[in-house]
Amino acid sequence: MPAPAAPDPGEVPDNDLVKRCQAGDTRAFDVLVSRYRGRIYAMTHHMIQNETEAWDLAQEAFIKAWRALPSFKMDSAFYTWLYRITHNVVYDWLRKRKLQADGEFDDSRTEHRIAAGAEAVPRGDPAPDTALKNAELGRRIQSAIAKLSPEHQQVILLREVDGMAYEEIAAAVPCSLGTVMSRLFYARKKLQELLKDCYEHAA
Amino acid sequence: MNTPPEDYELLRWLDGEMNDAEQDAFEARLAADPSLQAEAALMKRLSSDLRSHLPAEMPVPYADFFNSQIQVRLAQDENVQPSPAVSGGWFGWLRLPWLTTAFATAALVLAGLVAWQNSTTAGGDELVHSIYVPKAGVQARSFHSKDARATVLVLDGLEDMPADRKIVGFNISHGEVDEALAATTLFDDHGRAVAVMSKDARNQPLLLTTTNPRG
Amino acid sequence: MKHLALVTLLSAAACLHGQEPPPVQPLPVKKPATDAKVWGALVFATNDDAEAAAMPKVDVPAEFADIPARLGKVFEWKRYEVIGQHLQDVFREYESWVVPTKDLFLKVDSKGPAEGGGMNLHLQFWRDQQVLVKTDAVLKAESPLFIAGPKWRQGRLLFVLVLQKGR
Repeated sequence: MPAPAAPDPGEVPDNDLVKRCQAGDTRAFDVLVSRYRGRIYAMTHHMIQNETEAWDLAQEAFIKAWRALPSFKMDSAFYTWLYRITHNVVYDWLRKRKLQADGEFDDSRTEHRIAAGAEAVPRGDPAPDTALKNAELGRRIQSAIAKLSPEHQQVILLREVDGMAYEEIAAAVPCSLGTVMSRLFYARKKLQELLKDCYEHAA
Repeated sequence: MNTPPEDYELLRWLDGEMNDAEQDAFEARLAADPSLQAEAALMKRLSSDLRSHLPAEMPVPYADFFNSQIQVRLAQDENVQPSPAVSGGWFGWLRLPWLTTAFATAALVLAGLVAWQNSTTAGGDELVHSIYVPKAGVQARSFHSKDARATVLVLDGLEDMPADRKIVGFNISHGEVDEALAATTLFDDHGRAVAVMSKDARNQPLLLTTTNPRG
Repeated sequence: MKHLALVTLLSAAACLHGQEPPPVQPLPVKKPATDAKVWGALVFATNDDAEAAAMPKVDVPAEFADIPARLGKVFEWKRYEVIGQHLQDVFREYESWVVPTKDLFLKVDSKGPAEGGGMNLHLQFWRDQQVLVKTDAVLKAESPLFIAGPKWRQGRLLFVLVLQKGR
């Protein structure tokens, strides 16, 4: 199940706020922004690894959501719908910046870099301190996520970070269940490969 | 993608997407296959590491400002709705979207700041739609100067440039972008490359000069 | 020759950062579409005549020659010396950089023509690797943008951005 399910019984449900937004109530939208900004910011941050740009893109996602709200039929959860918009905002941004040309989400280049050993951390010299190792693993994971294509980033983040079920991911992307599985499979394999040396040391 | 269905079964098992019968069948297979067990253990570990290192929620820097900036943009949107009278006269001019934005931005950004010079127009930063200052302690204010016919953005609270820093200006006549290298080369009017603007691994600007301007 | 300089600089940068040099790419054949042309200038504003006189100056094109006088109508310094300048196309689908000095520069993203003339721009004002301010603004040929930046010595560094007319 997705993470945002009814955290507080006293809280106004999303759908009620959405209806008020659709009637033009910007204060209701402010409540939705406060409710989801941390999750949306986490998503943009995980995807692009840059605090100021992630902040701007999260804001842009909310503004795009407000503009699109009149056509939101509430046939999916607000959060799922917002996630879809956020992904599109980030994806457009990445495309505009021509990062593909720069190789940042070009999987073939990533593969090449791994093969050339460019990703290697100092081998055979594991840090004795667990916290340090943990921090290093965190850094490596973030860097590995940033190397995935936006499509693969999206499914892995929706699954592992937001805990969405396949059907919910398929609705958020949107795509078929088969595509969800294929992208998840590929993303995990790719991450496994990118983080191979971390796990080799730990074994 | 040529992926054998077994791979998806491991995936579905890990993600709790199997029904009871499918799960029993898969676990029987798992018990009999050490290589599948190893693969499953690695995948489980990867999932667990991803979850522990990628938070689902992160504190938004300047969260109140984040919200208020969104409200400013929404107010701006409201005023962008078709308004047939905006084309003529001062009354129409006053209804232009910038005014709401200017007032809202002014309220957000100018609060607590002293008034600027007499030559400025009240709430006249019509051409500045939003301002974001990432560093705490720095204030930004904008206004329109009628006398200078200019939009002015004043940044206060910035760290001074060190007095011993030799600021040397460039004289650049054009820049050319190389999309493949994601870099812009800057040329002087003799066609000499003076500097290259690129990005570092953190996506921050990286400026490289052909000479050391500080001598 | 231009690209040789680019590749050489980037290689040097990569070595400085402990990375492999980037692969040499074929020369670009197409020029990106542009939306406008801007003039960016670094101005040193000061009350100290001797300090102003000592600054190396640049030859300001005639069409921007009134800028120091207009700065004088906003700020209260005695002298406004243009010490760096940069004439730059604003690319439609790619970030543009306006770099009149290596110490202060501006990233410009075009958001298309503005209603009533001028350009909608997203601007980021940088000092080295620190972004000082981000702003969405309309730049009109008749209304330049003056940014009052950091203080330096006895004066202050000002950044000017002007939309070139007739574009």
